[in-house]
Amino acid sequence: MKFLKNRAVLITIILFFVSLQLYSLNLREKSSQNFLSRVVLTVTYYPQKVIYTISDNVISVWQDYMDLVNVRQENIKLREGIKKLRFEKFELAEAGIQNNRLKKLLDFKEIPSYPMVSANVIGGSPSLLRSEVIVVDRGSRDGISQGMPVASSEGIVGRVLSVGNRSSEVLLITDPVSAVDAFIHRTRVRGIVKGTDGGCAMEYIEQNSDVSIGDKVISSGKEGFFPKGVIIGTVSDLETKGSFISAQVSPFVDLDSLEEVVIILKTNNNIVLNE
Amino acid sequence: MNKYLSIIFFILLSVIFITIQTTLLSPHNLNYYYPDLNLILIVFLGIFSEVRGGFLLTLGNGYMMDVLSGNLPGTFTLSRLSAYLLVRSGSNHVYLRKAIVQGLVIFLATIFTWIFILTIIKIKKDDSGDITAKYILIQGIVNALVGVPIFWMIHRINARFQK
Repeated sequence: MKFLKNRAVLITIILFFVSLQLYSLNLREKSSQNFLSRVVLTVTYYPQKVIYTISDNVISVWQDYMDLVNVRQENIKLREGIKKLRFEKFELAEAGIQNNRLKKLLDFKEIPSYPMVSANVIGGSPSLLRSEVIVVDRGSRDGISQGMPVASSEGIVGRVLSVGNRSSEVLLITDPVSAVDAFIHRTRVRGIVKGTDGGCAMEYIEQNSDVSIGDKVISSGKEGFFPKGVIIGTVSDLETKGSFISAQVSPFVDLDSLEEVVIILKTNNNIVLNE
Repeated sequence: MNKYLSIIFFILLSVIFITIQTTLLSPHNLNYYYPDLNLILIVFLGIFSEVRGGFLLTLGNGYMMDVLSGNLPGTFTLSRLSAYLLVRSGSNHVYLRKAIVQGLVIFLATIFTWIFILTIIKIKKDDSGDITAKYILIQGIVNALVGVPIFWMIHRINARFQK
């Protein structure tokens, strides 16, 4: 220990170069995961779960109290809403029957559905260096493995980065490392949605393509991770970059206040060819 | 016996601090203004070098940061280990027992670790996101302000184990 103390500067320089090499290795093997990282995820799972449970209960009690305020007025509004929804339900049922009939006529292939596991968000990254990471309370014992897509009821959230026994880390689509093959819903124009640290941008869109602000962006399923047709966000801005167009995409999911997600139990092995 | 109790205390504290930093005080919630409790603990271990197992505790703490920050092996482990060794090399200095100096050391350690990490990212021409000099200074100040009372608290609890 005295040796280390006397040569702190020298050791710091050595550690810097070692760190440089490790970082290079890590860039090449982004999905590397070992036994120790599983241990860390498992050890931190229990206290994270305790804090999540306590804070969730406190928030829920507060929300229950707030919900009681103006509950009568809200009730009237809800009753009116139910009337409208009943009518819409009837219309949708009719449309659904018609849709099925037309699908049969056109011999359409069904979009494959995958088994899903719901999970609670129990933590986030401890550093701003890669803050676009969340921790969920499902792990390998729930059938989760690296690379599985994660979504919420509103759209794509991200991808499983590393897995512990009972918890997993999820890389959000807004992380610069994240990339999703996607297309514009209206015109089927393709591009890659990349994270921009807090937001997303759809890149490599051909210059003469029909893209405009407000267009919905959905996953194409081509890269093999995300199922086809899951909504990512809306085009909020357009910019020309060389011979391509770059579209700013506002994610549909509010990634800053995520509470629950679903993990789609889909690995690269069970990619369906018609995606 | 007291020595082992002290080590267990610091292991528990490491897990508690990293848990708080990934839940209640996560940068995901607080953005620039989150206190880096993990680094504060490491600086404490460096200053109060009489704490046993400081080197291994620093390694473990840095590694936990790496794993929970999206599996970046080495980045935090080695930058924090360097900060620990540098702080420890001056830990005999009498002024380090003063709160204001401890705050300054936490501030400088924050700046040092970020420069260490960002230099690597710049050399590798990777994306460092929106981490700017302003952010690093803010975090240094937040860490110093939060760190000094935490030092006082840890020191008092640890002193009980030493008795």
